[in-house]
Amino acid sequence: MDVISSLAHGFFVALQPYNLIACFAGVFVGTLIGVLPGIGPVTAMALLLPVTLSAPPEAGIIMMAGIYYGSMYGGSTTSILVNIPGEAASVVTCLDGHEMAKQGRAGPALGIAALGSFFAGTVAIVALMLVAPTLANWALKFGPAEYFSLMVLGLTLLSFLTHGSMAKALLMATVGVVLGLVGTDAITAEERLTFGRLELLDGLGIVPVVMGLFGVAEILANLERKVTRDIVKARIGSLWPTREDWNASKGPMARGTLLGFFVGTLPGGGAVISSFASYALEKRLSNHPERFGKGAIEGVAGPEAANNAAAGGAFIPLLTLGIPPNVILALLLGAFIIHGLQPGPLLMTQSPDVFWGIVASMYIGNVMLLVLNMPLIGMWVQVLKVPYPLLFPLILMFCIVGVFSSNAAVFDVFVMVFFGAVGYLMRKFGYEPAPLVLAFVLGPLLENNLRKALILSRGDFMTFVERPISGVCLLFAALMLIIPLLPSLARRREAIALDQE
Amino acid sequence: MDEQTKGLGNAELWGGIAWAAFGLFITWQGWNQGLGELHEPGSGFAVFWCGVIMTGLAASIIAGAVAQGGPAIRSLWAETRWQKVLLVMSLLLVFGFFFEQIGFIPCALILLLVLMRFIDPVPWWQAIIVSFGGVVGVWLLLSKVLKIQLPAGVLAPWLG
Repeated sequence: MDVISSLAHGFFVALQPYNLIACFAGVFVGTLIGVLPGIGPVTAMALLLPVTLSAPPEAGIIMMAGIYYGSMYGGSTTSILVNIPGEAASVVTCLDGHEMAKQGRAGPALGIAALGSFFAGTVAIVALMLVAPTLANWALKFGPAEYFSLMVLGLTLLSFLTHGSMAKALLMATVGVVLGLVGTDAITAEERLTFGRLELLDGLGIVPVVMGLFGVAEILANLERKVTRDIVKARIGSLWPTREDWNASKGPMARGTLLGFFVGTLPGGGAVISSFASYALEKRLSNHPERFGKGAIEGVAGPEAANNAAAGGAFIPLLTLGIPPNVILALLLGAFIIHGLQPGPLLMTQSPDVFWGIVASMYIGNVMLLVLNMPLIGMWVQVLKVPYPLLFPLILMFCIVGVFSSNAAVFDVFVMVFFGAVGYLMRKFGYEPAPLVLAFVLGPLLENNLRKALILSRGDFMTFVERPISGVCLLFAALMLIIPLLPSLARRREAIALDQE
Repeated sequence: MDEQTKGLGNAELWGGIAWAAFGLFITWQGWNQGLGELHEPGSGFAVFWCGVIMTGLAASIIAGAVAQGGPAIRSLWAETRWQKVLLVMSLLLVFGFFFEQIGFIPCALILLLVLMRFIDPVPWWQAIIVSFGGVVGVWLLLSKVLKIQLPAGVLAPWLG
C-alpha cells in the first residue's frame, strides 16, 4: 500500500505540466539521438545537462532519464533501416532487423522492436518500483568500506567486459580516477593537479570531458572514412506484427526482459551486454538457429526487450546506492549532484518528489515512446536522410555550445578539444573511453570512501576484507582480475568482448 | 587487418611508453602532495597509488608489445583521411581562441561554412542555409528561451 500511495504521489509530480513537457522533450530528443548515427546518448546527455540547470530538479532529472531510455527505443530504427546502429545497444538488432527490412518486412521488425521495448520498459519500471525500496533499506547499513569495494567491483567488471586488453581497460579506469581527483581535496582543501590554473580548482567538468571523449572523438573517427548509408528503399508497410510474428516473439521478449533487467542492475553491466546476451540465448534456445542473421524476428524481439529492460534496471544501483552502473548513468549522477541532490538510500525519504516522480515519469515516457515510435516512423526515416556532411558540423556546434554554456568558460571548450584529440588517439591505439568516464565520475567518491574507511579503522586495511559485503565485492573483483591470466577463461572473455565489438 | 611489427614502429609499444610516462608523472605528483599516514591518508595518497598502478599496467602493456608485437603506427592511418581530422581539430582550436572576442554568431557561421565546404563538400546553397539557420536558431533558443548567454563579440551593439 505504501508503494501504491508513493507511486500515486509520483504521478501527481510527473503529471505537472512542466514535468510532462520535460518528459516529452527527453524521450523525443532521446529517440532522435537514437535514430541519428554518430551522436549517442552519452553525448546528448552531456550536451543537454546545462539546459536542465534552469529547470527544477525533478524536471531536469526526468528529462535526462527520458533521453536515456528514449535512445534505447530510437536506436533500433537505424539498425533496421540503415544497418547502422544509432547507439551501441542496437548493434545486435542490425543482424536480423536489417535482413528483415531487405526482405520487405521492415514494418513488423520496427513494430516488434517498439512493442518489445514498451513491454520490457514497463516491466522494468514495475520491478524497479518493487525492488528499490528494499534495497535502499539494506543499503543504509553500508559504510565507507562497502561503498569503496562496491565501486572497485563496478570498475573491475566494466574493465572485464570491455573488449580488447583488460590491462588497457584497467589503465583507463585508473586514469579516470586520477582525472576525477583534479581540483581541491574535499578533506584537506589542498589543491591537487591544478598546475596553478584557477579554472581547475573545482576540478575538470564532466561535460567537456565526456563531450570530448565521446562527441568530438566519434566525429573525428567518422571523418577518417566517407560515411555512406544504405537506407532501405522498399515501402515499410504495416507495423503491426502478424500472429506468427507474435508467437515467435513472445518467449524472446519475456526472456530478454528478465535477462536485461538482471544484467542492467549489475555494476558495470548495461544495455549493450544484455542485448548481446539475449541474442546468444535466443540463438541457443531456437530449434532453427540457422535462421538467425537471416531475418529471424526473435533476433529483434529478444535484444530490443533486453536493452530496454536493462535501461530500467540500471536505475536501481544509482537510485538506491548512489553508484552509477554505466557511463550514461554516471552522467545522470552528475545531473543529480548539479541539482543539489545525492542519489542513494536516503533519496527516497529525503526527496520523494524526485524519486517517485522519476519512476512515474518513466511509465508516462514509455507510453509517449510507443506513440513516437509507431506512427512517426516516417518522420524518423526522413531524419535518417540528412547527409552526414551536413550533420556533423551541426553536432560539433552543439558540442561547443553545450560545453560553453555549462560554465560560461572558453577554457572548457579547450578541455573538450583536448579530450577529443585524446579520445580519437585512444580509439586508434585500442583504448576504450567507457571505463575512463565511469571512473572519472566515481573517482572522488572512491577516494573519499577509501580515506574515510582508513581513518575509521585507524589505518587497518583488513577492514575492507573483514566486513562481509565489502569482502565479497573485493573477492569478485579479484576473480575478474585473475580470469584473464587463465588461458581457457581468457579466451571465453575475449569471445564475449569481441561479440560486443 | 593492420600490419604487425615488433620493431620501433609498434603502436602498442609507444602507447605503453606514453602511459608509463604519464603514470610516473602522476606518482611523482602524489608523492609531492604528501601521502600522510595510513590512519590519516593525505591529499596525495590516492594520487600516488593511482600513479603506481598506472605505471605497472603500462609496463605490462609494454612487455606484451615487446613479446608479441602489435600494429605498426603507420598502418593505423593507412588509407584514412587523417588530413581532414587534423583540419577539424585545428579549426576547433582557432574557434576557441576567437570565440569570445569575435562572438558566437560570426565564429560559428564561419566554422560551419568551412566544415561543410571543405571536409565533404555540400552545395553552397545548402551550406549557407543550414549554417545560417543552425546558428541563428541555436542563438535564439539559448539566449531568448533558455536565457543562456553566449558571447556577442563584434555583434554586441546589435544583439545587446
